Amino acid sequence: MFASFRLSFAWLHTWFGLVLGFVLMVAFFFGSLSVFDREIDRWALPQTRIEAQPMPSFDKILASRFASITEPEPEEIEAASNRVTKPLPDKLTPSQYGAYTTHRDPVLGMYVGFDVPNSTLPDDHAYGEITIDPRDGHVLPHDQLALGSAFFYPMHFSLHITWHDIGYWIVALAAMAMLAAIVSGVVMHRKIFREFFTFRPGKKLLRSTLDLHNLTGVVALPFHFLWALSGLIIFAGIYFPVLEKLMQPLVEAHEREEAMHTGLDILPSGKPGTLASVDAMMAVAKERWASRGAPGEVGFLFVNHVGNSNASVSIYRDSTDRVATAEGLHFEGTTGRILFEDPPTGPIETVNAFLTGMHLQQFKHWTLRWLIFVGGFLSSTCIATGFIFFVEKRKHAHAAQGYGGSRWVDALAVTTVTGMVVATLFVLVMNRALPEDLAHRDSWEKSSFWLAWLLTLGHATWRSAAVLQARMSKAWVEQCWAIALSGALAVVLNAVTTGDHLGRTLSAGYWPVAGVDLMLLAFAFVAAIAARRLQQRATHASPASASLEEPERA
Amino acid sequence: MATVSYSSWHVFSRVCGSILGSYAFTWGFIAIGVSSLIGAGLEFHEASSLVSMLGFLVFLWAFCWAFVAASIARVWAVLAGGGAVMTLAGWWVSRALA
Amino acid sequence: MPDALLLMAALVFSVAGMGWLALAMDVHWNQVRASRRSPRIAVMLRVLGSVSLLTSLVLCLLADTATMAVLVWMMLLAVSAATIAFVLSSRPGVLAPLVVFSK
Repeated sequence: MFASFRLSFAWLHTWFGLVLGFVLMVAFFFGSLSVFDREIDRWALPQTRIEAQPMPSFDKILASRFASITEPEPEEIEAASNRVTKPLPDKLTPSQYGAYTTHRDPVLGMYVGFDVPNSTLPDDHAYGEITIDPRDGHVLPHDQLALGSAFFYPMHFSLHITWHDIGYWIVALAAMAMLAAIVSGVVMHRKIFREFFTFRPGKKLLRSTLDLHNLTGVVALPFHFLWALSGLIIFAGIYFPVLEKLMQPLVEAHEREEAMHTGLDILPSGKPGTLASVDAMMAVAKERWASRGAPGEVGFLFVNHVGNSNASVSIYRDSTDRVATAEGLHFEGTTGRILFEDPPTGPIETVNAFLTGMHLQQFKHWTLRWLIFVGGFLSSTCIATGFIFFVEKRKHAHAAQGYGGSRWVDALAVTTVTGMVVATLFVLVMNRALPEDLAHRDSWEKSSFWLAWLLTLGHATWRSAAVLQARMSKAWVEQCWAIALSGALAVVLNAVTTGDHLGRTLSAGYWPVAGVDLMLLAFAFVAAIAARRLQQRATHASPASASLEEPERA
Repeated sequence: MATVSYSSWHVFSRVCGSILGSYAFTWGFIAIGVSSLIGAGLEFHEASSLVSMLGFLVFLWAFCWAFVAASIARVWAVLAGGGAVMTLAGWWVSRALA
Repeated sequence: MPDALLLMAALVFSVAGMGWLALAMDVHWNQVRASRRSPRIAVMLRVLGSVSLLTSLVLCLLADTATMAVLVWMMLLAVSAATIAFVLSSRPGVLAPLVVFSK
């Protein structure tokens, strides 16, 4: 496109980095928070502040709970009705049961998959779900929002834009832009080894920002690349459903062969049958794992063809001690005998399972999970400094020309950096401030998040008028103070509304809640320091020129 | 900023070419890749996983190449054209296998 | 040796290794020592740094299964490099003990 390779890559890096960078900020920030999604859930749902529990008894607890899920969620029904050629019947048949837990889960998520007849998709299901306390099986209220796993986590891979799943595609494009930004960044960064440790905060803003951008980008380069790539690979079925769309006969031939081989039927028999003791099956599974020197708990329980004579029960281990996801043991539902055990995966599937497990990090290794959390913040810093560099480099030229480009980029940058954090802390504050028994509490909380974010956009837009005169927008400082205040307020409200103040949680060693409180205080502290530093810089600001010692091209 | 000036249309075309063209090319790569590997005897899931994972790297290559290629015509010919050819070939091979 | 201690040690070796590799570069050497650095010292620092990073990897491998250990090590390297960069940018003197053998 340009005269040289490097120029073309510089254009690619700048413009795709800028436009998709706003999406990437969301993906990496909420991705980082998702490392602690279960812990944030505990903070947000005080009635779940108990110790992590293993998978409870199926026969005594889960069976009746599954039976109590009689229909899919309303959103699921609505989405399914867009995929069918004839109107949905009033009652759908339940055909799948699933329950999933990890070493960090005090409560258990359970779902029932209902058959969707006349669907354009093969083997289509609509899902209904509940959350239970595994100790006694009582169902948790439906409109309580698990802020970590049900709000922040899906935000990072779908932006909560569910219309035709377009959110997944936007994040995917952003992930690909990230990979391209890494490749192009390396090509552009001529002194990548010499400047590996270079950070000069004392220099002009443009230079020190670029230093920080390069530093955070390069030192964590394998992390940025692997997490963006593995995120894409996890959803490969959504992005490239080549086999399903183009080669359905081949897929079906393989499924038939696999069903013969494993004894797991593709279709329900149509004849009724009752399940044997699933608890006995779980015991067999645990014994088998222990006999191989890998004792463990049940992580995922799956019943297929519910109510049929050929129902099957699949049990997967909670793989706390390795990165890759686990293999399953499959039982005949009516008799409890083992039908098939997944063999150790082939070399390529192992790589796939490793990349998936690495990205989802459900394993039990707190050091590594914390390191991944820090990695996410290095990525966020890289992206944020990219925005700041873009604005700083152009604001004088734009101010002189009366052009509003850097003003708008600055406004969007504030919104997706500080604004996003403000909205996150605001929803935590509202989580504590709203009445406990408020109806549709989950909708209230979600709305408060979006409203807060919208307000930060408005505030940022208003304040970014200063950029038109090549001055720093006050929004940065003001939103930093908002972060500091709301972080502290969230901790106070937690103490006041639940009594689980830091004194109590630290002495009891209840780390999920203590950890979130401490993180909130750390955010508040860092934001306050940043606000003060920025204020000092603003009052001492001299008109900075846009030049650097070594000219970097756009 | 660059000394070369380029029209908005050119930029739009490159961007579309890189995103859509790369998607088509990757789709084709996966189609011919999976069917060929299964035909060669590789296990179904192994073949499917390998080609999907490589697919994203192919996409990345195509995406970047679209911006350094000499002309937009070449971008569309290679990526969209190549993608279509590979998709057709892959589909044809899969039919022969099933 | 308990895993936590092994990982702490891995962190220490990783940070030190990055420190030595950084000080092998002129620009960072000059932040810590006024004197000019001889080429011999530069080579020695690079060797020290590399060996230290490899030791960190070995310690990680002793603490965990291979696949986890490699991930831990990769992240430790990132965090260590960032740490050294931030130390060099604020209080480079802190790294003086790493080159105590040279004036």
